[in-house]
Amino acid sequence: MEDHHIEGKDSWIKRGWWLILLIIASFLAPTVLSEFYLSVLCEALVMSLMALSFNFLFGYMGQLSFGQAAFYGLGGYTVAMLLTKAHFNFWLSIVAAVLVAALVGLVVGIFCVRLRGIYFAILTLAFGQLIFTIVFKWHNFTGGDDGIQGVFPPELLKSPIAYYYFILLVFLVSAFILWKIIHSPFGHTVVAMRENSERTEFLGIHIAKYQLIAFVIAAAFCGLAGAIWVPFYRSVAPSYLTWIKSGEPVMAAILGGPPIFLGPILGMFVMTFFHAWVLGFTVYWPVVMGALILAIIFFLPGGILGFAQEKVRQRKERNHQLQKK
Amino acid sequence: MSFDVLFSQFMSGIARGALLFLVASGLSLTFGVLRVLNFAHGSLYMLGAFLSYSIWKFLLMPVLGFYLAAVIAALIMGGVGMIIEFGLLRRLYARGWPEQLLATYAIILIITDLVKWAWGGEFLSIPRPRPFTGAVFLFGFPFPSYNFFIIILGLGLVVFLWWLVYKTRLGDIIRAAAQDREMVSALGIPIPWLFTWIFVLGAAIAGLSGAVTAPFGSVALGMDIEIIIECFAVVVIGGMGSLPGTLLGAFIVGQVYAFGILFKPELALAFIFMVMAVVLIIRPWGIFGRPER
Repeated sequence: MEDHHIEGKDSWIKRGWWLILLIIASFLAPTVLSEFYLSVLCEALVMSLMALSFNFLFGYMGQLSFGQAAFYGLGGYTVAMLLTKAHFNFWLSIVAAVLVAALVGLVVGIFCVRLRGIYFAILTLAFGQLIFTIVFKWHNFTGGDDGIQGVFPPELLKSPIAYYYFILLVFLVSAFILWKIIHSPFGHTVVAMRENSERTEFLGIHIAKYQLIAFVIAAAFCGLAGAIWVPFYRSVAPSYLTWIKSGEPVMAAILGGPPIFLGPILGMFVMTFFHAWVLGFTVYWPVVMGALILAIIFFLPGGILGFAQEKVRQRKERNHQLQKK
Repeated sequence: MSFDVLFSQFMSGIARGALLFLVASGLSLTFGVLRVLNFAHGSLYMLGAFLSYSIWKFLLMPVLGFYLAAVIAALIMGGVGMIIEFGLLRRLYARGWPEQLLATYAIILIITDLVKWAWGGEFLSIPRPRPFTGAVFLFGFPFPSYNFFIIILGLGLVVFLWWLVYKTRLGDIIRAAAQDREMVSALGIPIPWLFTWIFVLGAAIAGLSGAVTAPFGSVALGMDIEIIIECFAVVVIGGMGSLPGTLLGAFIVGQVYAFGILFKPELALAFIFMVMAVVLIIRPWGIFGRPER
C-alpha cells in the first residue's frame, strides 16, 4: 500500500511535466491556430467537459447514461433564453444554467439511480428524449425547431480569442474539480459501488444517495458545458438535446479509455478534429462516426489510452523478467 | 367527455398498441434470447418502411403491390439482420453490454445516413391498400379499416410467436437458452445459429412493421427514434424478454398515448414515461419480467 502510494506520487511528477506543457500549449494556441481551428478547439474543449462529466458516471460509477445531451441542451437553452429574452447578466445566466441542469438532473436522477446497467441506459435515454420533445414542441417558449439565435457574450468576451480563453479556464477549473471529486472519499465510494455494490451497501453506504449526488454533479457539469458553448456559437437548437449528441460523449469515453481520467478528453479531441476534417469533403458525418465506433470496438478494446497503458505494462513486465534473468 | 370520443380514443389506442407490439416483440425476443438490447431495432423498422415504399413503387400493382412489398421488405430486413448478427454482434457476445449497446448505436448512425442518402429527407407514404381503404362501423361509430388490419396483424403475430415459443421444439430451445445458454449449448444445440435466426426473425418483424406503417403516411427520418423510445417503454413496463409482458406493455402504452393525446398532445410522451417510471420504481424488471441475476 505504502509502496503503491509513493509510486503514484512519483509517476504524478513524471506525468506532470507533459500536462503542464499541454496547458501552456493550449494557452499559446490562439497565436498559431487559424480562426477555424480555434473554434474547433473551443468545441473540443466544451465537448470534453461534457465527456468528462459523462465519464464520471460511466468510467467511475459504472453507469452508462444515454441522456447527457438533455442537460447540455438545457444549459444552453437557459443561457440563450436568459440572455435574449430576459437580458440577464451573462455570468448570472451561466450560474442559472448550471442550476437548472442540476435541478433537472436531480429530478431525473431520483428515478434513474434505482436502476443498473441496461435499464439505467434506457431510462436516461427516455428522459433525455422526453426533455428533447418538450423543448422541440413547446414552440412559443423555446422557439421549437427554429432554436434561438443572436445569443451574444458580453463585450469583454466578444472576440473569439477572448472567448477561447474563457472556455479554456472554465474547462481547466472544471476538470480539476472533477478530478478532485473523483479522488476524494466521495469519489472512492462511487468507485466502490461500481466494483461491488452489495459490499458497499453492507458498509452502511446509501448507494442511491451517492449515485444521485454523482448524477447531479454530472448533470451540472454538462449544463455548464452547454451554457458556455451557446454564446460562442451565438445560437442554440433542439438538436443539442438529441440522442446523437448523447452518443458523442459515450463514444469519446470508449475511444479514449473509460477508466482513465484523461481518456474521454483525448477521445473527444480526436473525434472533434476528425469531424472538422471529414466535414471538409462529406456531409455524411454520422456514417463515418458509426464506422469509427465499430472500428474502435473491434480493433481497440480499452480505447487509445487503455491500449497504450496495456502496451506500457507489457513492456515493463518484459523488462522486469529480463532483469530477473 | 362523451362515450364516442372515449371509445374512438380507446380503439385508436388499441391500433397503436398493436403496432407497438409488432415492433417491440422483435426487440423483446432478441433481448430475451441474445441478452443484447438492440438500439438499432427502430432503424431496422425505418429501413423496412423505406424499402417497402420503393418496392411498392417499383411493382406498380394495384391491390397486391402493398402486401407483396411488405413481405419482400421483411425478407430483405431479415437478410440485413443476418449480416448484422453474423458480421458484428456475434463477435461481441463475450464483451460487456456497453460495447454491445454502442455497436448497435453505430448501426443506427449508419442506417440513418444510408436512408438519408438513398431516399432524402422528405415524407413518403403509400395509399391504404384495398380492402382496407374505407371505414368500419363499430357500435355505429366509424373507424379506419386499416387500423383493423394492423390489429389483426398484431394479433396474428401474437398467435404466431406464442405458437413458436411455447408449442414448438425451437420454442423449447429458445426458452431454455433464455434461462441458461451454457446448459443448452452443452446439450449439443448450436447456440450461435440459434442467435442468428432469432436476430433474423426480430429484424424481419421490424421490417414488416415498418412496411405496414407506410399507409399511415409517416415514412420519414426520425421515425426510428420515435418508435424505439416507445418500444423501450413497452418492454420496460411489460418486462424485457417476456412475450405476455410485451403484449401488456404495448396495450398500456397504446392506451396511455391515445388518451394522453386527447388530454394534452405535447405531453403524450411524458405520460408514457410517467407510467414507465412508476413501473420501474415498483418492479424494476417489469410486470412480467424476471430480476437480473
